[in-house]
Amino acid sequence: MRSPVLPLTWHLARSSGRRGLQSRLLAASAAAVGAFVMLVMIAACLGSGARADRTAWRVPDAVPGRSATAVQATTTTYVRHQPVTVVNLAQRPDREPTPAPPGLSAFPKRGEVYVSPALAELLHRLPANQLADRFPEVKSYGTVGAAGLASPDELVAVIGRAPGDPAVSESAAGGSWYDEGQTARAGITGFSGSKPSMFTGSDQQTALLGAVLLVVPVVVLAAAAGRLGAARREQRLAALRLAGATPRQILAMTAAEAAGVGAAGALAGALAYVALLPALARIPYGVGSWYTGELWVGVPWLAAVVLGVTVLLTVSAVTMLRQVATSPLGVAQQADPRRTRMIRLVLFAAALGYIFLTAQDHMTNRQMIVLLVLFYAAFWLFGPWVVDRLGRIAGRFARRPATLLAARRLTDDPRGAWRTVSGLVLAGFVAGFFSVSRLDIGFTEHPDQVAVLTDGGADARHTAAETRTLLDRAGVKATVSTVGEDDFEDSVLLGDTGVVARVSGGPEQIDAATTALTAVGKGRFPVSQDYVSASDDTVTDRIATVSTATLILSFLVATASAGLTAAANVLDRRRVYGLLRLSGTPLRVLDRARVRETVLPLVVLAGGTTAMGVFGAYQLNKAAGATVNSSGAFQLAVCVTIGALAILAAIGGSRPLLRRVTANPTQTAD
Amino acid sequence: MSTVLAGHGLVKKYGSTTALAGVDVEVRERDSLAIMGPSGSGKSTLLHTLAGIIRPDGGRVLLRGARIDDLGENKLSALRRKRFGFVFQFGQLLPELPAEENVALPLMLEGTPRRQAVERARRWFAPLGLDGLEGRRPGQLSGGQAQRVAIARALVIEPDVVFADEPTGALDQNTSTEVVRLLTSVTREQGAALVMVTHDADVAAHCDRVLQVRDGRISSHHQYTVA
Ligand SMILES: Nc1ncnc2c1ncn2[C@@H]1O[C@H](COP(=O)(O)OP(=O)(O)OP(=O)(O)O)[C@@H](O)[C@H]1O
Ligand SMILES: [Mg+2]
Repeated sequence: MRSPVLPLTWHLARSSGRRGLQSRLLAASAAAVGAFVMLVMIAACLGSGARADRTAWRVPDAVPGRSATAVQATTTTYVRHQPVTVVNLAQRPDREPTPAPPGLSAFPKRGEVYVSPALAELLHRLPANQLADRFPEVKSYGTVGAAGLASPDELVAVIGRAPGDPAVSESAAGGSWYDEGQTARAGITGFSGSKPSMFTGSDQQTALLGAVLLVVPVVVLAAAAGRLGAARREQRLAALRLAGATPRQILAMTAAEAAGVGAAGALAGALAYVALLPALARIPYGVGSWYTGELWVGVPWLAAVVLGVTVLLTVSAVTMLRQVATSPLGVAQQADPRRTRMIRLVLFAAALGYIFLTAQDHMTNRQMIVLLVLFYAAFWLFGPWVVDRLGRIAGRFARRPATLLAARRLTDDPRGAWRTVSGLVLAGFVAGFFSVSRLDIGFTEHPDQVAVLTDGGADARHTAAETRTLLDRAGVKATVSTVGEDDFEDSVLLGDTGVVARVSGGPEQIDAATTALTAVGKGRFPVSQDYVSASDDTVTDRIATVSTATLILSFLVATASAGLTAAANVLDRRRVYGLLRLSGTPLRVLDRARVRETVLPLVVLAGGTTAMGVFGAYQLNKAAGATVNSSGAFQLAVCVTIGALAILAAIGGSRPLLRRVTANPTQTAD
Repeated sequence: MSTVLAGHGLVKKYGSTTALAGVDVEVRERDSLAIMGPSGSGKSTLLHTLAGIIRPDGGRVLLRGARIDDLGENKLSALRRKRFGFVFQFGQLLPELPAEENVALPLMLEGTPRRQAVERARRWFAPLGLDGLEGRRPGQLSGGQAQRVAIARALVIEPDVVFADEPTGALDQNTSTEVVRLLTSVTREQGAALVMVTHDADVAAHCDRVLQVRDGRISSHHQYTVA
């Protein structure tokens, strides 16, 4: 005999009216948001890995000199503070031909210059004396195709050189620490390099940080969605039980419906992700926007996310129903709220201590994820404890009924209240930390300097004279001096010997000076502050982007969960709310209590951890002698304020629901 | 004794259903009135109309001679809060509040300082046989105890009228008798009137008078001679 569960579920689902439809739509939208956010973060992780791989050809993998067929010298120059990767290539005359680099149809001949579309556009837009004159003069530029680029916005040039050209000589190899990741030279036989460029190398790890931070809020959201459905179904199912359905059948029906709603929502989220791929690809991260294909996660990931969200929703709905099933008079009738114990605080402190002791600068992805998960777990222990204490304190001092109701709710179900705010609390900490800390530690910056490296004192004096002439001819106002070891503090070269031009004027003047001085660099581009601080700036920039994005997405997700939870709570307690309203309790009081029960822990916990993050970053900065990033702090403040208001609005969104479910006395009263 | 609450010619229709078809009721001070009748006969509708929860389509409701059926929503709500007490079948106590705070809540809503409100609430526990249960939450109380807490909450504001809709509907026979005995006696001592809907003739027998309702009309009116 066929099980009646599925047809019956379908029948009930169809006949449950407009309100049932609304709550299912709400749950499905939550599933959609969850799936969408997760897919976007996975796409960012996979995509930034894929695109880092596409830059690996630029970093030469050295082969023994005897077998090398060509020399590759990659370096970086800056225009308008943006990096331009320049790959110089020279075929050795007596060797086998070297294969074409990615994005080019053939190995470049001497004198040929290939540029990425974004660089072509820039060459066209800027005066030649600010950019084009840094490269060999050509009639027309070739194009570096997408296969050789990480992003359509990347600025890349590939230049064919003669074997004896200074640009591919030993002196172009770059030996200073600031050359690391930006300048390298080696003999090659092809472009099988395995090390991604510095500008994309940290992208994936940072994106992963964001993804991991968002997992928990998304799980909470899906669970809240499952719960909403259960609250709605409870009444019907109680009737069904009276009509003789077994608890097992009822669970099966709940599971079937939740799975249906979850799968529909998650699929919609997945479709939205696919449909929005081109738009998502335009969101810049690191080196720029994306090629759409880079953000496609593939069918297995897509299926995994849809399945995961569906399962979460279903499990949440079923566990919720189990609670209802065991206490016929309502969910909230648990006899004694389980106390949260002090041990949570101790474990929390221990875990945080361990994290701070073991966290280092250069961690593998796995180490980072382990620490992050530990961090989460620590907060997961700690959060309910704080909520419980908060409830007790507020309960002791509450004078207004609304505050008292909220306080008692917090103590009654600290885990529930914690769940609603958890995503924000952790995102707040991370964002607070990263948006305020600058991470560039210690050295004085010289944004006005353009410098040329020299071999020694005599060379330096000679080069200085040449520099003056060149700058004069280019119409750049600058004071030129030679620098050496003693000038560690005052020179952008940090103690290396060379010539420094202190340029007056904005980025145009710096770019003009850089272009003019390319001629004296012996195959190397002049060095500016952008070049020297590139590796710090890259990491800082990526972390700032990801933490802002994570914070915004966390708020989005947390807002949705807070709204759903508030709605589910109203449905769960429609009887007691309805009866209170009949007895003349103003809805206003109930409403205030509902808002307070989320806002209290939100302010204390999210506010507290954000402040903790800011304070931690501030201490770190002070120790390192760097200043606090005040624009970051401002951004954070704006973000937190808007997010908190959004959450308030989301809770307020269930006010009409409260009004409606308590409106009909005959339904509530018996 | 003066009339506290009166309904004259009350009519209530839901679409084609006539829940009340012209009902006249009067309740005097310390009077207790039981409303009985088959399911769907209009008992709850009558109680809700008298209590200012639903508005009649015809007729008037008077509280100490003043019309209340034409008051605005907020005024009605305040009236219910200050002058009426309510006891329902079950599920009217907030599960996370201890019993004493559930009882104190109506006082706090009226602006009584919390400590004072809780103190006044506690005074009701002994007379209702609830000694020592002040700190228990509703989930930790038996059905009969929970109903007695609900009675305390209805009486704590010293109302003019207590309305009870099937207050013993979820209780067994013995508990039921105990609860209704307390409800009627304590309400009377307090000087309030009682209007109670019930299916149970034994429960109704504790009241001074019994109204039988059928199809939205009063079909019989029985006065016990006990009191
Ligand atoms: N909100 C409503 N909408 C439509 N019809 C209603 C509504 N409330 C009550 N009724 C109808 O009015 C009539 C009287 O209902 P009421 O609830 O007063 O009955 P009752 O005597 O309390 O029944 P019970 O003993 O089952 O509680 C019934 O036919 C009922 O179906
Ligand atoms: Mg009824």
